[in-house]
Amino acid sequence: MLRSVHASRACVWLALAFAAFGAGARADESARPSPEAVLDARYRLVLDLVRHTATYTPPVASRAFAYLGVIGYEATASGRQDMATLAGQLHDLKTLPQREPGAYDEALALDAALSSATRRFFDNTGPTGQRAMKAMDAKFSPVVAAGLPADVVARSQAYGRALTAAVSDWADGDGRNEIANMGFPMEYKLKDGPEHWRPTSDIALQQKPLLPDWGDNRTFATPMGETCDLPPPHSFSTSADSDFYRDAKEVDDISLHMTAEQKAIARFWSDDPMLSTTPPGHWIQLAIQASDKLDLPVDKRVDLMARLGVATADSFITCWRAKFQYDLVRPLTYIRAHIDPDFTPLIITPPFPEYPSAHSVQSGAAVAVLTRFFGENFAYDDASHVADGLPPRHFASFAAAAQEAAMSRLYGGIHFRWAAEQGLVQGRCVGRYANALKTRK
Amino acid sequence: MRLGCAAVALALTVAAARADDPAAPHFVDATAASGLAASYDGEWQYMVGGGVAAFDCAHDGKPSVLIAGGEGAAKFFRNVSRPGAEPKFELQPSGLELKSVVGAYPIDIDGDGEVDLVVLRVGEVDLMRGLGNCRFENANAAWGFVSQDAWWTAFSATFEKGERWPTLAFGSYVDRSKDQPWGTCTQNLIYRPARDNGEPQRRFSAPLPLAPSFCPLSMLFTDWNRSGTPSLRVSNDREYYEGGQEQMWRVAPGEPPRLYTEAEGWKYLRVWGMGIASYDLSGSGYPDYFLTSMADQHLMRVERPQGGPPTRPAFNEIAFKHGVTAHRPYAGGDLRPSTGWHAQFEDVANSGLVDLFIAKGNVSEMKDFAARDPNNLLMQRADGTFVEMGDKAGIVSFEQARGAALADFSLSGALDILVVNRNAPARFWRNDTPALGHWLGLQAMQDGPNRDAVGGWIEVKLGDRVQRRELTVGGGHASGQLTWVHFGLGTARQAEARVIWPDGTADAWRPVAADGFYRMRRGAGPARWTPPP
Repeated sequence: MLRSVHASRACVWLALAFAAFGAGARADESARPSPEAVLDARYRLVLDLVRHTATYTPPVASRAFAYLGVIGYEATASGRQDMATLAGQLHDLKTLPQREPGAYDEALALDAALSSATRRFFDNTGPTGQRAMKAMDAKFSPVVAAGLPADVVARSQAYGRALTAAVSDWADGDGRNEIANMGFPMEYKLKDGPEHWRPTSDIALQQKPLLPDWGDNRTFATPMGETCDLPPPHSFSTSADSDFYRDAKEVDDISLHMTAEQKAIARFWSDDPMLSTTPPGHWIQLAIQASDKLDLPVDKRVDLMARLGVATADSFITCWRAKFQYDLVRPLTYIRAHIDPDFTPLIITPPFPEYPSAHSVQSGAAVAVLTRFFGENFAYDDASHVADGLPPRHFASFAAAAQEAAMSRLYGGIHFRWAAEQGLVQGRCVGRYANALKTRK
Repeated sequence: MRLGCAAVALALTVAAARADDPAAPHFVDATAASGLAASYDGEWQYMVGGGVAAFDCAHDGKPSVLIAGGEGAAKFFRNVSRPGAEPKFELQPSGLELKSVVGAYPIDIDGDGEVDLVVLRVGEVDLMRGLGNCRFENANAAWGFVSQDAWWTAFSATFEKGERWPTLAFGSYVDRSKDQPWGTCTQNLIYRPARDNGEPQRRFSAPLPLAPSFCPLSMLFTDWNRSGTPSLRVSNDREYYEGGQEQMWRVAPGEPPRLYTEAEGWKYLRVWGMGIASYDLSGSGYPDYFLTSMADQHLMRVERPQGGPPTRPAFNEIAFKHGVTAHRPYAGGDLRPSTGWHAQFEDVANSGLVDLFIAKGNVSEMKDFAARDPNNLLMQRADGTFVEMGDKAGIVSFEQARGAALADFSLSGALDILVVNRNAPARFWRNDTPALGHWLGLQAMQDGPNRDAVGGWIEVKLGDRVQRRELTVGGGHASGQLTWVHFGLGTARQAEARVIWPDGTADAWRPVAADGFYRMRRGAGPARWTPPP
């Protein structure tokens, strides 16, 4: 199961690292973690930071996963003859630093790259996150470097840091480094008309929608502009024989007659920001689990993490463009006004327009990538939320998981079925562009 | 943020004045004159806490204070004010000069008429027995109290039915030994009176765990449904728990504490819980609960079907409706979301309408939250909504505030404000409002173990309107008080007052003249008390 497997690999190395330093023992080269273990340990910290950094809503988290994925990938690919750089393939990423002649340690280069990347993308995290990053650098990185010649250490770390600096410069170009006011604009004019989004909570910050111009972001691999566009949602109507009313009635009916299984599904995939690793983090966790299960070598792992990061980041951008194009009212608003004034969704309605379902879009994109790596029948147990009191769920395939993730939003009472179904379609479209990246020469 | 944008946005945060806005109170920074010189210092382990306890340990009616020092020693300041004059304090040795203090709450544990203190520390809890004349000694061993090693951040106490010794509940934070302490909330504990062969003892039993524990920063025994049996409301910091939420424990005499469940009506709420303040804002007889947090603050009101008594522990959010979300600084130009800590409902203008003070301050270089985050003073309008007047009142400051105490430090009938700041000097604002309304200072007293009537209520009636205050020990942010309960009367020169004692017995309404202090002894009614000169 995910958490135990994922945690175990990273924890072994962290424990070794801490024990060695705690005892004042000389670092032993034999205790050095592999590149795979470095990747695991660094992503474990990143997942914690995503959960505990206030600006890390799902779109923001997906962006960080994309850049971290590229950094991890390039740190490894730059040391191998058989891997191709992503420079020239991702929008506006023209060049990346070349390695200087000399010996490198791949684990250490990867550690240095991801360490500096974590600091770069979580610069705004709170005091506990800052403390955690410092502790990991102070205790883990020396173990990775243990026993290596000084010039190899210096060269490997310098390259890792230079790589992050270059990707960081590239990231600066998307204009999304600073997320002000936790992502909520200070000014925003709501569109007139009952079909359009209205605030769904009494949280003051959420009287305006989250990140309304996120759809204007630079994409990574998906062609900029009108790509993977969706058909419009059902026409707004309050007539009881309209598709729109029927969609809403279905949401209300489900809430009134919810099965235990539907409730479990809705809560399992809720993936709330600041209370979980977010939806993109959930798929990252699953990717790590699957990689560990098959004991994938590092070149495959970084390839996977780069594509997955890119796919989910592009899916949020694409989805957000549609969300604010259609600016559709949430079920909560419509149902309370026209069907059931007491309607209360099981999970919290996110503070932005309804169509399409972002969780569905990014799940469709993520699964496109995961299926490419692990096949169409990769069965697994997902224990991502055990620590939060939610039991593991079994899936026969990643596609089945994505389907469930999409339906979870219907069961949770925050999306109409059409938004969930079309979200998966859009996500699969976006995922194809991530899968088309060339990573082998 | 660019200045132009900031200016536009700031304008958006400042609500337009309304015709029914109350007159602004006025405060003067009297820190230097007060003699209070203290600071709550420390880094990561002291990012929370920073409390102040206000209590009368000299039997002169004047609240002295203990201010947590964090890494430094806590400081006790004896109140040497002359009644009605400038508040003055003197640093005095008291036995409370402990290190690693996070906060403190006054309570008379042993019922000897001398106030004791529960001192929360990074490490252990110390129960400090009052010896009289503001001297204290550790009584952990004498009272059979075995503290565990933890980062203690929350406390509340009650006297359970039939008990002659209090029940103490403690909340602890994260495992501070961990580099990545998320998900490591340590155990909360409840200590009940010990019994030997069924006989009550004047000491504590071994603690029971309050599991699951979710990193509380405040807890409060409160009788939310007026059942006569207070429950334990716990406000938890979502930053650190996994699978957590806000909690309320049913603590019935003779039974293990148990959590109210969703099936019983408890509603899932997850906030960065940092402080609890309670007050019956609606006049319904049932307290509302203000929960401080990051960004939006929260005000929760219990559901009352058809306006009748609550039938289940279901609370709804009403902060937005009442204008107390206080989610962003209202002064200073920093537009990032705000961080709330201690909160306290008090009538600072003696208008007859209770106001809301919130201590504010960044946790510690959290870049997504306001660094310049002034404390709030939200004044209540007649329609029950609130309007921010911290700037007009003159209490704007930009330190990292934590604990606080609003109290009548000079026995003048006006509430002053003492705020503890992290890594910066505490501030004292003297209430200098020129046109204060009339007021009452009341204190419930009874013989026996629960001398201060914890769990009871004091009520003041003006016409057909009743103001009431539940007598509690706990809540706030690491800060507690045991002093006069203050009521504003507006223009009224007379009111009626009564105590509803913890066993439910209600005294008869008795007339009380405005602008005085009254000791309300059980069965004896209010007796005017005049401060010694």
